[in-house]
Amino acid sequence: MPTTLTSKRHAVEGSLDDAIEFCFQQGWTDGLPVVPPTAPKVARMLEAARLDPKQQIAFVEHRAVSITAEKVAINAVMAGCKPEYMPVVVAAVEGIADPKWSYHGPGTSTGGAGVLMIVNGPIASALDVNAGDNLFGPGWRSNLTIGRALRLVMRNVCGSRPGTLDRGTLGHPGKLSYVIAENEAESPWTPLHVERGFRPEQSTVTVMAAEAPHQFYNQLSNTAEGVLTTLADNMRVSGNVMGQPQYVIVLAGEHMRTVAASGWGKKEIRDFVWKHTQNSLAHLKRTQRMSGAIQDGDETKLRPLVESPDDILIVPAGGRAGAFSCYIPGWGSRRSSQAVTKEVKR
Amino acid sequence: MIELLDPTLEAATQPIAYAARPSRLEGKRVALIENTKFNSDKLLLKIGDILVKEYGAASARMFRKHNASVPAHAEIIEEIQKTCDVVVAGVGD
Repeated sequence: MPTTLTSKRHAVEGSLDDAIEFCFQQGWTDGLPVVPPTAPKVARMLEAARLDPKQQIAFVEHRAVSITAEKVAINAVMAGCKPEYMPVVVAAVEGIADPKWSYHGPGTSTGGAGVLMIVNGPIASALDVNAGDNLFGPGWRSNLTIGRALRLVMRNVCGSRPGTLDRGTLGHPGKLSYVIAENEAESPWTPLHVERGFRPEQSTVTVMAAEAPHQFYNQLSNTAEGVLTTLADNMRVSGNVMGQPQYVIVLAGEHMRTVAASGWGKKEIRDFVWKHTQNSLAHLKRTQRMSGAIQDGDETKLRPLVESPDDILIVPAGGRAGAFSCYIPGWGSRRSSQAVTKEVKR
Repeated sequence: MIELLDPTLEAATQPIAYAARPSRLEGKRVALIENTKFNSDKLLLKIGDILVKEYGAASARMFRKHNASVPAHAEIIEEIQKTCDVVVAGVGD
């Protein structure tokens, strides 16, 4: 496919090192060095996804920004992506521009959301997206560069620069890249993308505005109820307790096997966790999360952490050894931003 | 020499037509857009009160967005167009 690239061109005198420094000087990077985006590299990125450079990938209504394939490709090159990663980056860009994801809040908020990306389907293993040891990094090029490419698009195309339009109070390391795959090969359960309406052979990426992972430990129990009781006790007062966001629960190998051995599926996990993460109104008031004085009945009146069990996404992933798993609170509230799943088109 | 492609948005500039600002608030009907953050209603009521008492605005009426992270929805924008002359809106923590 002939590719006519129309982005402004910058001629840099000197070596590759000078080009890398030039990218820093322009304010194009996330603080790490980038791969200088030359036309041949950008053309290869577009060809891998069979995209015309002018094609609009998404329109972010809140920013009135049209994101073209050419700009996505330039940022994917800078992030260090291989050309074959490009379709995943494109699907993620479509995801964050979806009205349900609702860009303005998670792109801007003091709450400091990262974009958690969960890759499902055959593309995960084809691109070696890690679903095992050191799940959240470091060590895997696809995990680290795909999420980085998305963040660079947010920075350079959507204008979400830390300190100006991105006002995260704390941010978190996942704002550099936050990509995992579901461990479909070893999981006994229905994969996330199938639960969300896709066929097993389709590849997808699910984007969720999210806090950092919160790890929990249970090496004592050999039952689903035991492991999930510990999880629920950790989760109960996490995230935006009053806001009712969505959550991802990542069950690593040992916990996944323990829970499955009890005969529990994703539905049973969701229902149990939803029921056991409710707080009494009295506790929420005593701990200054809910306003007002404690009334009669507040000790027994319960408020769920999330609106529905379906707001808890279950993802088996992480190393096979170790009695650790984690939960990830979504940003804000379900009404402000929801997880969105997009097909990866190849 | 190495030639690099610019990764940033290079949108053609779009002129945004702002409504003409009134020179005085006397007799104007003020819309206050409440964004649902804690105490934003209290702050806006105070502002509305000042605009009526000290600047002679005819009225100050509060409209509530769905939440702070989304633009004001069509229904309240339509109602504001019909019933108000000026709007106080903003976001902050």
